[in-house]
Amino acid sequence: MKQRLLLNVNGENRELFVSPNRILLDVLREDLGLTGVKGGCDSGECGACTVLMDGKPVRSCIVLAFEAEGKEIMTIEGLAKGSKLHPIQRAFIDHHAFQCGFCTPAMIMIAKAFLDNNPEPTEEDARRAIAGNICRCTGYDNVVDAIMTAGRDLKRAKDGNKNG
Amino acid sequence: MDNFAYIKKDIKRTDGELIVTGKAGYTFDLHLPGMLFAKILGSPYAHAKVKNIDVQDARRLEGVKAVVTGDDIGFRRFSFIDTPAYPADQTPLAIDKVRFVGEGVAAVAATSEEIASKALDLIKVEYEELPAVFDPEEAMKEGAPAVHDIMEPNTTTAWEDFGIPSTKSRPYKTINNISNKVNIENGDIQKGFEEADYIREDRFVIPSTAHMALEPHVAVADYQPTGKLEVWLSHMGYEHKRFWLAKLLDIPMSKVRVHKAYVGGAFGGKISLFAYEFIAAFLSSITSRPVKLTLTREEVFSVCPPARRMIIDLRTGVKKNGKITAQHVKIIDDVGAYRRSSPTALYLAHVFRNPIYDISNLKHEGCGVYTNKLFTTAKRGHGLQQMMFAVESQLDIICDELGIDKCEMRLKNFRRKGDSLPNGDKLRSYALPQCLEAAVEKIGWKEKYGSKPFKGLGIGTASMFSGAHNFPFASGAMIRLNHDGRVILYTGQTEFGIGVDTVMAQIVAEVLNCPIDYVIVNSGDSEVSPHDIGNWLSAGMFVSGEAVRRAASDLKNRMVKYATLGLEVPEKDLELEKGWILSRSDRSKRLSFSDISRYGIQMADGDPIIGRGFVKCVPEVYFWKGKYNKTASLSSGRGRFTEAYGLAAATAEVEVDPETGKVEVLQLVVADDCGTPINIKSVEGQVMSQAVMGLGDVLFEGIEFNNGVVMNSNLLDYLVPTAEDIPKIDSIIADSYEPNGPFGAKEVGETSRAAAISAIANAICNAVGERIFSLPMTSDKIRNAIAKKKGDRL
Repeated sequence: MKQRLLLNVNGENRELFVSPNRILLDVLREDLGLTGVKGGCDSGECGACTVLMDGKPVRSCIVLAFEAEGKEIMTIEGLAKGSKLHPIQRAFIDHHAFQCGFCTPAMIMIAKAFLDNNPEPTEEDARRAIAGNICRCTGYDNVVDAIMTAGRDLKRAKDGNKNG
Repeated sequence: MDNFAYIKKDIKRTDGELIVTGKAGYTFDLHLPGMLFAKILGSPYAHAKVKNIDVQDARRLEGVKAVVTGDDIGFRRFSFIDTPAYPADQTPLAIDKVRFVGEGVAAVAATSEEIASKALDLIKVEYEELPAVFDPEEAMKEGAPAVHDIMEPNTTTAWEDFGIPSTKSRPYKTINNISNKVNIENGDIQKGFEEADYIREDRFVIPSTAHMALEPHVAVADYQPTGKLEVWLSHMGYEHKRFWLAKLLDIPMSKVRVHKAYVGGAFGGKISLFAYEFIAAFLSSITSRPVKLTLTREEVFSVCPPARRMIIDLRTGVKKNGKITAQHVKIIDDVGAYRRSSPTALYLAHVFRNPIYDISNLKHEGCGVYTNKLFTTAKRGHGLQQMMFAVESQLDIICDELGIDKCEMRLKNFRRKGDSLPNGDKLRSYALPQCLEAAVEKIGWKEKYGSKPFKGLGIGTASMFSGAHNFPFASGAMIRLNHDGRVILYTGQTEFGIGVDTVMAQIVAEVLNCPIDYVIVNSGDSEVSPHDIGNWLSAGMFVSGEAVRRAASDLKNRMVKYATLGLEVPEKDLELEKGWILSRSDRSKRLSFSDISRYGIQMADGDPIIGRGFVKCVPEVYFWKGKYNKTASLSSGRGRFTEAYGLAAATAEVEVDPETGKVEVLQLVVADDCGTPINIKSVEGQVMSQAVMGLGDVLFEGIEFNNGVVMNSNLLDYLVPTAEDIPKIDSIIADSYEPNGPFGAKEVGETSRAAAISAIANAICNAVGERIFSLPMTSDKIRNAIAKKKGDRL
């Protein structure tokens, strides 16, 4: 039996009618067409489905869509401002922090949640932050470098705003 | 040679914006209007007769559009290898019997995955269980259960379809479950062993490991009313896929279009056709609707072939001074239920490593053995890392026993630049000694070796083809000049993480000396691109990259020809610069690329100006109407294999906790001889990627079976390296130049995994002072080794 579901995704309110057993990942990808969100294991182990819920990273493959009601969901599609890439996205390109790219949207969302809470992280912190997200291609070092660079860029921009 | 504008540079991925915004389209993401979803029912038995399948209830379920069984599909054979000697032995769904747990017996297409899953539950299969065999050495014994019976090919083999001269297919009978054999002999091993001062004999065991590409295996097929099949696949090159899809569906190959799709990782495991890909196409053909078939992670682990599991018996004779006089290799390749690429793997296990050590007297024999387990396939250095783990482990044992320096021993036995191998392959570029010296120095070998208890150092080496003689044999490329002076490159290369669009654009921009954003790359579309070797056997850069370079050169020549006419300036006075062709003596005389396009249309009968380039993997090898030259024999190791070998050496330092057996890899150095690194960051990325995978191979990866069931079919039980497992890794790119490669480039990366595996494994054994003969080297094995060492001392 389908039920009414109100989701706030990437700043937009969306009204859906879905069965209560639907998984958030499937609703995002199939009902809302947000295929930037990937899935790799359906059991919360690989991290490829990571999205932000009220700013916190969650594995959307083990969250019911109805659990997300009333929360702010952010996916990779909501990160860039129009055609302007977010500094984390820019840093991932600059540091060759992806190869096949399948884990990348999730890595970037994890990085955003992490940097929002840790504006001056150590490399070890960054490594720990992404330790639950599997990347089979890069060997992770370039991802860590990208996160560190993005962290510095974001801090500089923030300090600049304060001073200006 | 280093006066490049775009080569050997840190050029960012030209498609980076697509990846970081989530807009890169993977097959996993594709949704077509009216699409159905398919599921496959797997066998719960490792070996059983399929007596009856009742699909009536499943067919009646609302939303189910098709249910098919093996009988509906029929005896349509496919494999990686399909020759008269080794005919394809697999069908998309089991017909008479199942040979491994998870083998497909029926498939459903429905309006949702949920309905398809429900329908599977309604299918009633009657099995008659047969005795199964899981151990390859048991399987080889007289009277063991026969995994395969007599197989009578009902079509020509792929080998015949390719036009390779051969005898006609005949009924194939397996004896004692032996699927295939290899026997390569160089020199005289008896004499070699007689000359030896010391002989060592050991057995090494390497399990299957998973590729664990993050994108689950998936196919979307859309069979058109015109009889054309449109498919999107997660793959590594379309030639094998479209050949087999066409053959199995019995439609012309030109009516199969493999579309470009981003691929979420492949690692050697996605070149051959998968049963599920055909099943998606078949279901689409009978329902006339698009069909998507996505495997779950558990299915990927349980029914998609992992890397080859091998038992290697190795006997080596050496002189007191460390010179190897003879080596005798015996391999048992536990192929599982189907042969797939075992004949290739058994030969590659020798020929990949052949350029490393100069062993005059060598015998390499082996057999593939059927068992009732999941069948196996290639993974990054098909057979190489298994073989090198054995060879490099044993070299270390010999060095320890004879008190020889491990680095000196290897340097003494390396081949030399310019050497010809026994089959005629030539080592035109060969920086392996330099790689080893650099890796040894970087890790501080001399200062650190043997200095601290439970700390250890290890060395590994590897080598690898740059493309090979086999199907699809060659690559072509085309470049078309557009009205606005930009060019569009058409190449069959597939993007699965290697950055092909970027490196191919670099090559074109270098030849045309134009901005890199003048180059638009159209890659991986079987209908648009010329034939292409694909992204396997490390052929991408050396073969297809050279085809692209030649296509760009051809386009340049055509453009210059029109510029001489348009400007009335002799050809030798012209040069290309930033999208212009101009006179060196009078730089005001110039035409833009766009002007050249207009010249072609207005003054040269509408010439679209298209450059062509093509390269054969091994030019010397050919066959045509019964004539052939230097074609390779997999079973005897004769004939030409490849034009260039990539090489690598690695060193590792580890520390072992004697209480827990836990290993900390302190440092890993990989020095790679890839010729010219076209894109430095991309090359470093490949090396890093392979090295980290090798770390997983040594420390935790291995598919575990119990009565044929894969026991660790999820990511909690099958561990892969995470960000916190990564040691300090240094990659060194050797300064070498391959004369036959594009701008001096050749293979990169596949060597790094094998070299890293041996280096880490040897370092662990060095740290504990005791040899471990199998992978992975788990804490349990390490604690046992430490206990054994203590026991020996008491």
